[in-house]
Amino acid sequence: MKILFINPSIREEDNPKHVPYGEALVAACSEKWFNAQVALLDLNILRSVLKPEQLDEELRTSLEADDWDIVATGGITTAYSSVKRTLEIAKPLCPDSLFVAGGGLVTSQPLEMMHWLPQIDVGVLGEGEYTIGEVIEHCHDRDFAKTQGVVYRDRDRKPRLNKERPVMPDLDVLPYPAWDLIHTDLYFRNSSLLLSEEAMLAKRRLDIAASRGCSFACKFCYHLGVIGDLKTHYRPDGQLDVGFDNLGVSRTLRWHSVEYIVDMVKYAKSKWDIDFVDFLDENLVAMHWASPNRDWLFRLSEAWVDAGLQPKCVRQGVEHDPEKCREGIHVGGAAHAGLIQPEILKAMKRMGFTYVTYGLESFDDRLLKEMGKAATGALNERAVKITMDHGIRPIPNQIIGFPDEDFESIRTNMRMWQKLGVVVSPFLCTPYPGSQYYYEYKDKILDQYDGDLESFVADLGDATKPTAIISKNFNAIELVGLREAMVNFNWRLIDKYEEIWRRNHGLPPRQHTISPEPPSK
Amino acid sequence: MSKHLKANFKVKRKKSSSSKPEKDKVAEKFEREALRHLGGSIAFVMKRKEFVWTGEEKSDE
Repeated sequence: MKILFINPSIREEDNPKHVPYGEALVAACSEKWFNAQVALLDLNILRSVLKPEQLDEELRTSLEADDWDIVATGGITTAYSSVKRTLEIAKPLCPDSLFVAGGGLVTSQPLEMMHWLPQIDVGVLGEGEYTIGEVIEHCHDRDFAKTQGVVYRDRDRKPRLNKERPVMPDLDVLPYPAWDLIHTDLYFRNSSLLLSEEAMLAKRRLDIAASRGCSFACKFCYHLGVIGDLKTHYRPDGQLDVGFDNLGVSRTLRWHSVEYIVDMVKYAKSKWDIDFVDFLDENLVAMHWASPNRDWLFRLSEAWVDAGLQPKCVRQGVEHDPEKCREGIHVGGAAHAGLIQPEILKAMKRMGFTYVTYGLESFDDRLLKEMGKAATGALNERAVKITMDHGIRPIPNQIIGFPDEDFESIRTNMRMWQKLGVVVSPFLCTPYPGSQYYYEYKDKILDQYDGDLESFVADLGDATKPTAIISKNFNAIELVGLREAMVNFNWRLIDKYEEIWRRNHGLPPRQHTISPEPPSK
Repeated sequence: MSKHLKANFKVKRKKSSSSKPEKDKVAEKFEREALRHLGGSIAFVMKRKEFVWTGEEKSDE
């Protein structure tokens, strides 16, 4: 059994910075659990060293390099265009191979993807580590009727969606990702991340996932079907389709044991001499609070230090100097402002954390409540302050263009940015497929793409540029302009635009036409 | 000495008295680079001397 995994290009406006962790895990399971021979063609990293025409040639050469039983690709929704192009090139070259696609793009829209991507024979929803075993088993008879967690084509090439596969109970059974199949040397060239001084100076960064899931139900978020919220259901027309439990009652938070994580990092350190670990986890602190004794991060920090992974500069209590500090590994990861506590930050700092990313989104309580963030402006402010106070950089992610965004919420954010010293150019609220906003505003999305859902999906990027806008008050042009004024603290421009906006909407002038002076620092 | 100051005499001091220590230079470089690439997940909170959290919540060192 020979499998060719193809990692598509993604976020082509930036250097490829992150190893294809999920794909490398499924490749490792295919090899170690199911005895497959596996190869990985990583188009995303190769685009950093090859020209586009060379990249296509490399794809063709790899597809013709052997008789592949399975050609597997996939990724998150924003990789859609790249996946489509890859499949269009690949299918004619390997007409007898079973074409498998997985990841977030198939999970959120399995039936649409089977329609838009006719080359796909089997789509894998949610976690693929066990599912790939059954796909391998039925590769030649192509009978997937009893395989959980797939959408497949029947004898008439008609798509059939099966029931979801329950998430795996124990992450520690997983082998390490097939890092040997990844061009780590090329990824190390892009180690630097502008998230902290240490991350910026990193020379050999590797990404690691220590957990799966998040306990929150933010309406803009989609969890790739790996947290237990993916549920199939019958539509009124009798067709099985996917949906997501947005109330969070079926969430299954899972995390690796601290021993597994530390052993994996020690292995990576011994093999590649890594100097930085970026935790890919959605929300590390949620795992801490969900762990039986609410001590997961405390134990991880302790085990990290005991294993000699604590950076030398942290141990000595001095500033990081990359020339002198060559022992240990610095760290970064994500948390939730409502769950962070000083004692957790202390443990994180001791371990070598240099930044904590917070999806603060907004400082406006009304918006935070509507989006289901389970935080307040005050909690966001507190998170920024106590994180700074512990010598860790908080990354204050912001979004504008929520359904109820208005001039006051915009000013609330600007006041708080000024007060805290936040420097940010916010994301634009984007209803990614699989998120609650996607289902809630699907008609509004279709309106903006003349009813062509595929165009919307192909247009999706990292939410820095406008696609479908779901704000009730502002269109895409207005939001881009308002963001520009916010970033530059141009209060006058916002006041003036509000005058025009109110006039155009038949509303009375704002009571105070001049924005108040920002609060003193 | 400033690379850009032009004078028809030799100025008294070659180095600024406010030369910053190395750690501040790294922090400045980071913030400058982050500002240059600002957008999306590239965001930061400025490190300022006057920015001190005096709340009760700092963990014991």
